[in-house]
Parts: sequence; C-alpha cells; structure tokens
Amino acid sequence: MRADQIDSREVARRIAWSRRDFLRSAAGVASAAPLFSFAPLRALAQLKNQKVVVVTFGGGARDEETFAPEGQENIPNMVKTLFPQSTFYAQVVNKGILGHYVATASLATGVYETFNNFATVPPDNPTVFEYFRKDRKRPLHDAWVVAPSNGFNHIGESGNRAYGEGLGAGVILPKHLLQAALPANGSIDYAHLLRDNYETPFYTPELAGSEVEMRQLEDVLKFSVSDFVHHAMSLSSPDELSVYIAKQLMRQMAPSLLWITLHDIDIAHSGTYSLYIDGIQRSDRLCLELWNAIESNPEYKGRTTMFILPDFGRDSDVDAGGNGFQHHRTGDPLSRTTWMMVLGPGVRQGVVIDRPVESVDLAPTIGARLGFSARFSKGTPLTEIA
Amino acid sequence: MQPRELTAASFVSYPTKGRAVAVEHLALLQNLPLSLLPLLLREVIAYDVRFPAEQRMLDDQFAYLASLPAEQRENLLHGFVAIEVTETLAAIDWVRQPRAFSEALTAHLWATHQMDAFRTAADAYAEAWRKAKPDREPPIPRLGIVLAGQGCDHSPHPIFRKLRPYGTYFPNVDPAKGLAILTEALEARAAKHREPYQHWYIDGGEPAMESAQVSVISYAELAPVRRAILKRMQEVINSGSGGPEALRTLLAEMRPEEIGLGSKSDATLAHFKTSILTEGSGTQIFSTTFAQWTAREALRRAQPVTMLVRFAPRQRQLPMNELLSGQHPTNETDPAGSLIDAEMGAYYTWINQQRLSGAEKGSFLAWFEGKNEAVAIGPALPRGVVSPSQVNLEKLLAMLG
Repeated sequence: MRADQIDSREVARRIAWSRRDFLRSAAGVASAAPLFSFAPLRALAQLKNQKVVVVTFGGGARDEETFAPEGQENIPNMVKTLFPQSTFYAQVVNKGILGHYVATASLATGVYETFNNFATVPPDNPTVFEYFRKDRKRPLHDAWVVAPSNGFNHIGESGNRAYGEGLGAGVILPKHLLQAALPANGSIDYAHLLRDNYETPFYTPELAGSEVEMRQLEDVLKFSVSDFVHHAMSLSSPDELSVYIAKQLMRQMAPSLLWITLHDIDIAHSGTYSLYIDGIQRSDRLCLELWNAIESNPEYKGRTTMFILPDFGRDSDVDAGGNGFQHHRTGDPLSRTTWMMVLGPGVRQGVVIDRPVESVDLAPTIGARLGFSARFSKGTPLTEIA
Repeated sequence: MQPRELTAASFVSYPTKGRAVAVEHLALLQNLPLSLLPLLLREVIAYDVRFPAEQRMLDDQFAYLASLPAEQRENLLHGFVAIEVTETLAAIDWVRQPRAFSEALTAHLWATHQMDAFRTAADAYAEAWRKAKPDREPPIPRLGIVLAGQGCDHSPHPIFRKLRPYGTYFPNVDPAKGLAILTEALEARAAKHREPYQHWYIDGGEPAMESAQVSVISYAELAPVRRAILKRMQEVINSGSGGPEALRTLLAEMRPEEIGLGSKSDATLAHFKTSILTEGSGTQIFSTTFAQWTAREALRRAQPVTMLVRFAPRQRQLPMNELLSGQHPTNETDPAGSLIDAEMGAYYTWINQQRLSGAEKGSFLAWFEGKNEAVAIGPALPRGVVSPSQVNLEKLLAMLG
C-alpha cells in the first residue's frame, strides 16, 4: 500500500463511522433520528435561570486520540462517565481558519472570523457574551472567560459598534495572574510555564502582570496572593490552573455564562506525541472535574448545560502536506472535523447525532439555551439539544 | 508584478544553477499563474543547494509543463488561475522573496476561505505531472530501519501497535550486537550503491557510526548550532518586538554560516541541517522530534534508498509545580515518554517511506532497541501476524531481502 493512495476523506468517513458505531455499541445509545419531531427549543424557553459552561480544547484533538476506538483509552472519564449523560455530535466541522485564537473567537461569535491568528485584536463580530449581556441585561460578573494568554485577552468583547466595549465578558488569563502574583525578581525560573504559543515554542508574549490582575485575584476570585501562589505550586499544568480558577469563579461569582479554553494539548506542536497524549488525558480528567463541580454546586446543579469540544482537529497521518498530529496546517478533512459533547438538563442522554454540524452553530445554540439572539451568527441552533 | 513581466534580468540575484534553470524556462514561467509560480521559484532559488532528487523533480515539472499544449496547460492549471490573488500580494517581491510571498499567500488563502480550492488545485496538478512523469524506481529496494526505546526498560503497552498490521511482529529477537549489525548493513548498502545522499543515519543522541558514504546527522553533533539558534531567538524575544511572525522570519533568513554550520565541504547538507533546525517546530528542544522530522525531511527531499533512524531519550518536559518549586533537576531525560514519541516516529517514518517510488518492494524494520521485540514489514513477510521464531537482527534483515 502507498500512503498517498489513501483518500483522506475516506479515512475521515471511516473514522466517523467506526467511532459512532463503537459508541453506540458501548453505551447502547440511540440514533437521533426518531427525535427530530420533538420541538426542543420551545421546551428550552420554559427553562429558567439557565447557566452554560463551555469547555474548548484549544489545542485541537484528533479522533484517533479521542473518540475513535484506539483513542478512547486516553479519555476514560469522557467515555465512561460523561458520554452516557450526553448528546454527542460526531461530526462538528470547522470551515474557518485553523488557528486557536481565531477559531475560538469564531466559536464565540458564530461567524468564521478572518483576522490574523497571532494578532491581539478583538473579534469583528459580537460574541455570545455580548449578546447575552445586552439581550438579557446582565451585569459584567455574569459572563466570564478563562483562557490561555496568547491573544485571548480580547476574546471577551468584539469590535462591533452595536456591542463591544462594556458589554463583553470578564477575561481571566491565569498566566497573567501568576505573573502578577509571583515575585518580580525571584529566583524561580518559570519562563517555560509562561510560554504559551506552542506553534512557535520559544515565543513568550509580554505579560502584563499588573494591578488589573491583582484586583482580579483579590476582588473577583477572593484569593490572597500567598494562597494563590501556594496552590499554584501544587498544580502540574497551566490547564489545571485554569480549572482551579474557573471553579473559584463558580464559587465566588456563579456566572451564568462561563467559557474555559484549555490549551495544554497544543504542546503537540513541539512534535512530542507523548506530551500531546498527556495533554488529552489531562483535559479528560479536568472535564470530569468541572462537571463534578457543576453537579456539586447548588448554583449550577440541575440548571447548567456544559458544552465540551475541541476547536478543531489536527492533520491526518496520511496527508503528505502535514506531519500528522503535530500541526493543523493542511486544512484536510480530519483537521477540520471534530466532535462535541453536550450535557445538562433536558439534554437527551446517550444520543449520537450523526449529521454534520458546524462549529459556528455553537453560538446560536447557546443563545437558545440562555435566551438571547446571536443575530449576526452564520450558524444554526442545534435543535436536537433539549 | 505579474508573471508576464518577468525577464532574464529578474533572476540576476539567483545562484548560478538556479538562475540558469529560471532563464531556460522563462517563457513557461511568464505564463504560470501567480498563485503557483512563486511556490516553484522557492525551489528554483535554492536549486544550487537542493538534493539531486529535488533537482530532478523540479526539472521533471518544468519539462512536463513545457511539453503541454497551451490549452491543456490552461486546463491543468485552471484551479490555480481561479485563486484570487490580491494586488497587495502581487506587490510582494516574489521573485527575490518567494518564501515571504508563500507565507502571505497561505494567510490569504485561509482568510478568504480559498484553502480548500487551493488544495484541490494542487492535488490535481501533482497527480497529473506525477502520472505523466513518474519518479524513477530506486536502484535497489528501499530499506528503512528505526530503533526506538533506548534507555527504556519496558513498554507500557504492546509496542509498535500502529505498524503491526502491515508486517510481522517478532517477540523473540536476540538483541545481541543489534546496533552493530544494523549499522554494518547500512554501510554495506552504501558501499555497494554509491550515490550521494542515498544512505542516511539519523541519531537523536550521539552518533554510533561515521561513514564517508553515509549522510550522518545527530542531535548531539548539532548542539552548538541549536544553542546559536536559541540565542538568536531569545534576543528577539527579549527585544520586546518579537512576535511569532518576527521569529519565523528570523529563522527563515538564517544561513548555515551564521549558526556555525560551515557549508564549504557540503553546502547541500549544511543547508539541510539548517532547515531542520529553523523550519522544524520542536527540533531545537526535543531530540525525538529532531529525529522524526529529520527522517521525514530526508525521505521527502533526498529520497534515499537506505535510512537508519535511532531515537534517543529526550529531555523531560517540566511540569508546572516543578518549575514553580525551582527544585527541578537539570538535563533529566524522559525515556518512557521518548519511547512513545519514537513509536509514533517509527510509524511516520514508514508512512513517509511509503510515499516514495518503489514502495511495494521496500522494506522496513522497527526494533525496540536492546530488547526482544521488532516489527518487520516487507513484500516477503505476512501482515498482521506474530512470528514465534527465535531470530537475531541479521536474520531479520535477511528476511527483508
């Protein structure tokens, strides 16, 4: 066999089918087809005080290492615990730019944004945070983003004149917090920790560890600096720090819309498969940890929908233009196709949705859940979620 | 500037051979679409330091395109013609800086949702010229050998899982003198079939052999070069003006002599080594990435008939708590993680070998170094089976032919 004789679209189709078949057989779950007569959005309108937590894997994860049969050993918590409680979208296609900041911004706006992935600019189109706060007249503390620091500091609000400044989400960048909290001239070498642009592994952005971050620590998160640093020293990765902060936000502010972007997986750009797998395994564990936090917090339990999805996939092993898992540069079907798991009240459990949906469908779906209109979004609400 | 405006003088800054190629095909170049031409010029401008196989491929492409009647060529390239190229892109000095143009074009394709159309056009073009001018068969069947797991006692899971379906798994390999047997086999093939850059030895640590007939590259050998590159990168970062793009430009513009790679004795190999460390992500940091990427690029570019890749333990990635505690040991390696990296590296090396001509006759051997496990893939060996035979590395090589 010659590797280039394998049609990558065929590979994608086979993997999608094998994954769905396996999941069905493993969990005895149903196809969504019989559910289409149900009118979920009408039912959604009856739900009060809903909350949404979105978890994205800002490192792009492939089927092979996640929900394909050979990948499921890496995500035991999602397969065994979360999947049976979820509606699972087996083909989420991202037709936009496969860069993490611009792709995450596209998820948040429901429009394929086209700005330079490495530029520190706001999205052009309104984000779900702005729609939510404006339509529902919600205060700042009701929408938060916890994200890696490369560029994401602008993801909270767009450059759209009808929305934008003052209507977005609060953004917490854990690495900035840590930078602010750590002694300026200490002997600790934490440059590696602050490195967060894995596509250019030695690029460390200038971090503005400033009064803003110190105020976030004290006023929002209610951490003392010493407690925060002490706890950070017990954590093994930046994503663990992000989840630690997200859980504190849930306890202190109980935001209705919370968006967490995990990023450890993107170590794959360094070409080390083992570290990429470590990142996936950690993300799997952290997703369960977040779900457990939701289920154990009275402010969230029974009224929270959690969306879990990679922002996109990574390159196929057989595409000659790429180097397999390492990057997401080819735009091949596998790098564009991923999955999404949805859990929460009224969400059908153990249902697999076969039809392709798009990543821009997320924003209007959150809108349907929280009662706002993502009016500039190019996506369509996912009607199966109810 | 548009392609039709090209003249022989446009290529005056090109090195000797590259300039000659461009001038020879000037009429053709003037008629190629702007979404394709600078990508070909990237190869032309570097022609003098390209491997023979790369030069042959470029010559083949030009010969093929020149042989087509105008209408047929237009049909072949209509996908490229349909790509919208802005005036801003056209204003880039794509003759002298084709790399800068290609980076800008890539960003433009993504932003304008033309990447899929470009892929389709590129696939159709590559398929057509490869069908018209198939690459020559190798003089001897290709042989790839990968050694994984140096320094690791055991694999936490069945080793070489991705390769096993394509060959025979041997769980009773006698490891005695294994490395010596394999390097001697490499040297024997190189001595018998003397063509430049057709036999490679790549080591993620200290090299276990030297040979005039074999292209040898090792992570340890390039340590001073890696340090020089990292120093330059750090300077840009510390300057406060270095974003990812600035770093990428810096790396792309580095020349071998700037980073301590004298290019007088073998300019082609010096440029290749430079490209591995400046274009490969992670090659400067992790030895396993270095070995895998070097093998990938050597196969893609030099198209060797023999390649031996030996993975070595990479440095350990320090977890956050250790970084914060400041109590991490320096230079500690991660043999277990490196084995996982190397297994994937072996699989990718096999895939990349399979992309070359004569793939159906080629052979491949992956060995858990110093241990009893190996997978052998070749036309004479059954697929997806386990052989209980007691074999040594010499016998395994004989089975592969």
